[in-house]
Amino acid sequence: MRYTATIHVRTRSEVRDPQGEAILGALRSLGLDVSNVRTGKEIVVTFEATDFAAASEAVRQMGTELLANPVIEEFQFELADSAVRSDAAFSSTAARTK
Amino acid sequence: MTRVALLRYPGTWSERDFQHAFSLIPAVETEILWHEDADLRGFDAAIVPGGFSYGDYLRAGAIAKISPATKALRRFADEGKPVLGSCNGFQILCEAGLLPGALLRNASLEYRCDWIHIRTESDRTPWTAGLAGNILRMPIGHGEGCFVADPETIAALEERGQVVFRYTDAKGAATLEANPNGSTANIAGVRNEAGNVLGLMPHPERCVEALLGGTDGYRVLANVTGALEPAGRAVYR
Repeated sequence: MRYTATIHVRTRSEVRDPQGEAILGALRSLGLDVSNVRTGKEIVVTFEATDFAAASEAVRQMGTELLANPVIEEFQFELADSAVRSDAAFSSTAARTK
Repeated sequence: MTRVALLRYPGTWSERDFQHAFSLIPAVETEILWHEDADLRGFDAAIVPGGFSYGDYLRAGAIAKISPATKALRRFADEGKPVLGSCNGFQILCEAGLLPGALLRNASLEYRCDWIHIRTESDRTPWTAGLAGNILRMPIGHGEGCFVADPETIAALEERGQVVFRYTDAKGAATLEANPNGSTANIAGVRNEAGNVLGLMPHPERCVEALLGGTDGYRVLANVTGALEPAGRAVYR
């Protein structure tokens, strides 16, 4: 089965995010009342796995071994098989983990 | 003859500067090793030079950490052999878990290319023998040199003397102004617990002769000739 994982990587809340701080300043200069900005990245991975549990485990491994550095970052992901992805049930099958 | 391996990943750019630097040190020979077939057997020390390995994609040093060369380097470090990583090499060593902490985007968000001063805080590495307390002047060139770790790790590093270099002014004061990137506690370089692996953001290979504007890098790199005991383990004072 083909799966697509959308992995969100963010710097940990206790770690300073200078890019977020620069964006915060820029948003405020637009006159917007913004109190905090955190930046991150989104990585979309398509891969084959036998079932949802195996796919989920594979994404966890991608996250911990490469995509996020646990010293400074944390990650969450949504996972869907390609059949589900095309219909509205996407969010009901999505797994969210830290 | 002391044999030094210089690792080259795709995007490494300082390996030839290191080769030149070591060519000035008597009884040292170097070899540049491509990351896919790096065999460190027979070498006395290994260098992870600076650059932009894998274009800094994902995070600086993140993709290099799973390269075959880094696996070989991990074995080499486990054997107690001297390893030095500078700039992107420091980032790779942190990503690979060979050194504690991580290097974030500079607090200023600016790439900093400058001459800075660092104070040598520890001579318990093969690379800093005889340099404790010395203030060295070296070039930096990096956008992601802000050293961070959780407070417990920082406290442990300080406690165990694993902070090897700290950014200071010319007189040795670790001031806010002397910190080019926002590093925690002005940390410019750290060693592993054993002491044989050292990482630093400045470039010792770029200050090895008067023509380059400074020679303090030579004082660090020249230690390589005494860095390995006949028994094959790194020497610490």
